[in-house]
Amino acid sequence: MQGKTAASRNLASCHLCLKLADASLHHCPRCGEPLHLRKSNSLQRTLALLVTACVLYIPANVLPIMITDQFGNSTDSTILGGVVLLIDMGSAPIAAIIFIASVMVPLGKLIALFYVCWSVSAGRTTDPRQRTVLYRAAELIGKWSMVDVFVVSILVALVHLTGLLVILPGAAAVAFAGVVIVTIVAAESFDPRMIWDQQDVTNE
Amino acid sequence: MSAPPETGLVACPSCDLLFDVSGMRNGEKASCSRCGDFLTRVRTDCFFKLQSYAVAGLVFLMIACAFPFLSFESSGLESIMTLPQTAQQLYDQGRPDLALLVAGFIIFIPAVVLILLLLLSTCIIQQKFYAWMVPVTRLVFHMQNWAMVEVFFIGVLVSLVKIGHMATVVIGISFWGYGAFALCFIASVGNLDRLQYWNELERLAGLKNAG
Repeated sequence: MQGKTAASRNLASCHLCLKLADASLHHCPRCGEPLHLRKSNSLQRTLALLVTACVLYIPANVLPIMITDQFGNSTDSTILGGVVLLIDMGSAPIAAIIFIASVMVPLGKLIALFYVCWSVSAGRTTDPRQRTVLYRAAELIGKWSMVDVFVVSILVALVHLTGLLVILPGAAAVAFAGVVIVTIVAAESFDPRMIWDQQDVTNE
Repeated sequence: MSAPPETGLVACPSCDLLFDVSGMRNGEKASCSRCGDFLTRVRTDCFFKLQSYAVAGLVFLMIACAFPFLSFESSGLESIMTLPQTAQQLYDQGRPDLALLVAGFIIFIPAVVLILLLLLSTCIIQQKFYAWMVPVTRLVFHMQNWAMVEVFFIGVLVSLVKIGHMATVVIGISFWGYGAFALCFIASVGNLDRLQYWNELERLAGLKNAG
């Protein structure tokens, strides 16, 4: 049985409340959200946000994320430096969590989103289901990268023994939070239905 | 003009394929046959669960804010951290931007979402409809993506291991309070089904307009 898409019947599906309405309407009749057949300028917006995230990713890794002040000696640590330190201290599982959350997840997410954007603009028709799953995974894991920022804020709040041991937040924490937020917005502005549009055109 | 869309039809949000979900019974779940994305789940008790988990979550959040979260002891000196202090200390150390983000993600956004869900589910359970429920529900759907309670809780566990060997770290009441709050938050939002929720709201609005 060959199903039909909403777009082929000139129906727009509201992204907020899933109501189907005539595509000529500008706002959803049920919830009032702006209504589009497809998210407008989806590729351009997603790519612009991805490039922003890449730019922010540089200070996030170069600048210190955390400054440890022990007996008046301050030591800066970057994201990767922190991971290396954790491995040296013998807590490999925690090093793995931090490495996955702050290095692999944001990088993987950027690569995945760049790839689905490229595949749509190149008009690829193979493996649409895998690409949809890849996109949804990128969307789902996005906020988990915030773990590192939260760890910094917890350590800053917890460890403030003046003169003995103080932990201060570094500038990279702000840049890294920026990367996470911008990639979440980028994933939101991508419209996965574009992956299937090529398919539907070929089938007709 | 095209024909008016039939009720009971829903388009897959990931691939736009149309499905008829009108004949679904309680407990049934619908997924897209083409891309596998989740469509909807019918649960007749979802509004009661939404309401009860929201109440429980708000109580646990109050506990989490009022007591010490963790305390840290080294060389006879002790420092205590409370939940609001995670943001407060960042602000004091000259990072107001980060303080605002952290406070928003872990306290304010989840708290506002739960308060609004409690309000909305109570109205729906009483079969009442007011015009403000539509924009407020939209606000809840926009905000819920930005609540990071479970991420913060993993962050707490990572921090514990990270500094556990440097000094004595004592877990406070708030730690358990926040853990319970995170579970209730996930359970409450997990009962918020987009399609079922809006269908019910539309039905109540129709009843009000008719009567």
